[in-house]
Amino acid sequence: MAEIVTTPAVAPQREGAGGSGGTPASRARTGRRRTLVAYLFLAPFLILFLTFVVAPAIFGLWISVTDYSPFSDVQNFVGLQNYIALFDPNSTFSGDFWQSMGATAIFVVLSVPCLVLVPLGIALLLNRRIRAATTFRTVFFAPYVLGVAVIGVIWGYILDTQSGILNHLLGLIGLPDDIPWTVNVPWVWVTLVGVTVWWTMGLNTVIFLAGLKGINADLYEAASLDGAGPWRSFLNVTVPGLRPVMLFITTTTVLASANMFGQSYLLTAGGPGNATRTAIMYIADQGLSQNNMAPAAAMSYVLFAFLAIISVINFRLQRERVERTVA
Amino acid sequence: MKKAFVRALGIAAAVGLGVALTGCGGSSGTTGAVSGDGEYDGPKVDITFWHGWTGGAAPTLVPKLIEQFNSEHDNIVVKNVPQEWGDIAAKMPLAIKAGKGPDVAVLHGDDLATYAAQKLLLNADDIVDGLGYTADDFPPGVFEAGDYKDTQYAIPWSVTPLGLFVNMEVLGQAGITEIPTDQESYTAALEALKNVGVQGEWVDGYVFTGTFEFESLLWQFGGDLYNEDVTQATFNSEAGVQALTWMTDLVKDGYSPANVAQDGNIKALLAGQTAFNWNGVWQTTNSAFADLDWQAAPVPQIGTEQAVWSSSTHWVFPANKGQDADKTAAAATFVKWMNDNSAGWAETGELPADNEVRNDPTLVQNYPNLQPFMDELEYAHYETVSPGITEANALITTAINEALTGKKSPQEALDDAAKKADQILKQNQAKYGG
Repeated sequence: MAEIVTTPAVAPQREGAGGSGGTPASRARTGRRRTLVAYLFLAPFLILFLTFVVAPAIFGLWISVTDYSPFSDVQNFVGLQNYIALFDPNSTFSGDFWQSMGATAIFVVLSVPCLVLVPLGIALLLNRRIRAATTFRTVFFAPYVLGVAVIGVIWGYILDTQSGILNHLLGLIGLPDDIPWTVNVPWVWVTLVGVTVWWTMGLNTVIFLAGLKGINADLYEAASLDGAGPWRSFLNVTVPGLRPVMLFITTTTVLASANMFGQSYLLTAGGPGNATRTAIMYIADQGLSQNNMAPAAAMSYVLFAFLAIISVINFRLQRERVERTVA
Repeated sequence: MKKAFVRALGIAAAVGLGVALTGCGGSSGTTGAVSGDGEYDGPKVDITFWHGWTGGAAPTLVPKLIEQFNSEHDNIVVKNVPQEWGDIAAKMPLAIKAGKGPDVAVLHGDDLATYAAQKLLLNADDIVDGLGYTADDFPPGVFEAGDYKDTQYAIPWSVTPLGLFVNMEVLGQAGITEIPTDQESYTAALEALKNVGVQGEWVDGYVFTGTFEFESLLWQFGGDLYNEDVTQATFNSEAGVQALTWMTDLVKDGYSPANVAQDGNIKALLAGQTAFNWNGVWQTTNSAFADLDWQAAPVPQIGTEQAVWSSSTHWVFPANKGQDADKTAAAATFVKWMNDNSAGWAETGELPADNEVRNDPTLVQNYPNLQPFMDELEYAHYETVSPGITEANALITTAINEALTGKKSPQEALDDAAKKADQILKQNQAKYGG
């Protein structure tokens, strides 16, 4: 809202500077027209946002406080019953739901550091003036364009316990050749994190790279004149310069990892047992396959609450740091 | 990851919107009866046909059959709408409620009761009578899978039992030429294979195919998945524990490697690493078998009784809001014609359910690998008929997976799953009106 209000205030100023001014009334009229034009251009997106994000979200919230079933004609308001059931160990859903939340948490904790640090390292390397830098950038970004189904098929073949290429290669160099990459813990986690990093690190790398290009080269020169080595200039120039980018990347990566679905659906089938069944996988199954839409809606709002809290904490932590560096 | 999220969000939004649109529709889904005698002579109608055959030979075969049907019928135009089975499960109930579902569709046996309980299907008693079908026209147990609360909602179309696929070359390495048929000969073959360094059967803990093997064994040992009125899970009975222990023993005794990945066993059979694979009749048309010296056989009798798991597909007539009776009558004509002309269906690796078509000698002449599967139909067990049963069935797979990966003992894994399944069954009764 705040941004919309400030826009007309800026526009007349610019006109005044150009000297083409006019009466205050006509200026206000031009301003109003500009606002109207802006709203017109923004409207399609606003409509899409309202129709496909806000409306389903409100509808979902309503579903979660009813005994909703798409097949019954009357829906009854049940208050917070669906939410309470999630915290009641005797309900059908609570055990499985919290297990899936746990699996999601494990994946986030394991994958996010890798998805931030590995792309950062690669971006630093790509930022040097090297031959064929564009080729390497393409190589790292390429997997990102593949669909998750393709990823599932490719890695399914590579990681098969008995007939997979990886175990065969490990065997050739004298290492164990029966590692259950997609079948048993802890290897399933190594697989899910590894495949996800390989698949999605390209995006974070490109964003880091853009951030690195934005750091003033003079700062590095000044640092080297002050006698800073590569490590010191990384800590005192690169890291502070990347902070806004870092905030963006950690937030989006946490959200993306918490919404992991396809990799475990395709590679581990949620196994062993239900160890790698993520929250999204469980919610989708309950809501879309088993027709338990009301509990599933409640679950998705609990997941949403968790992610909102984590995002806020993340913002707070990193914002404070930004302020401190500025000061 | 992000893509998966966006996709999930998209699905959620689409479903939400669909629900929103249909939610205001008020009462719908009348379970009115419509008849059809196989000879539709009303005004010209367009009917839509939804099914999930998107792989193998079906994408070319189904349109060909429909084209032929359309050319033989001046007053009926069938529109083919293939989509993934998973998409059908997500879309069709809502589409029917909104009056936008198909006029005829094919469903798996374990989905029929769920749809019937939700009043999504037309009572097909009169159609079945009109077309002249009785239970005797199909293998034992298949027709009954379409019966929910003494009303017939479906007409069988195909059956897909489990069988034993054998890599004859690998079996020959152990000096065996006869395919084993019972526990004694099967164990002897596994032992002989082990002696020449081959793990004879790779057992897995997934839907394809560990679950179907377990269910076959459970019935062989005299057990059953659920009690008579499907209010209690019984797969953790002594028979169930025997069945699952037999599977985990394959690993323990070194006949199977541990931690076989999903589909790892069929890949191993094709790669000549193992001799046996319990798999569905649909594999008979797997083109990967082309260069292999292989044979199919009935699954061996490990327990005290002959039994084997089988699935089935059925024709149904959706109870769309405001469904046109003419269209349903035309759909019945189409169903009868498809069943009568389903000899070519075997090309997709499924057995035509209609006895007359299946027992035509030319079928086995054209597809000799189907014979052992046809022999099994006498004692095949079909999926449980009960609304929402797939949710409980999923727990069986989890239990097998847990036992085979050593997380729990067979007894413990099955007990945990049964306890959970009982909860689900109770919930289903409330959800679908018992």
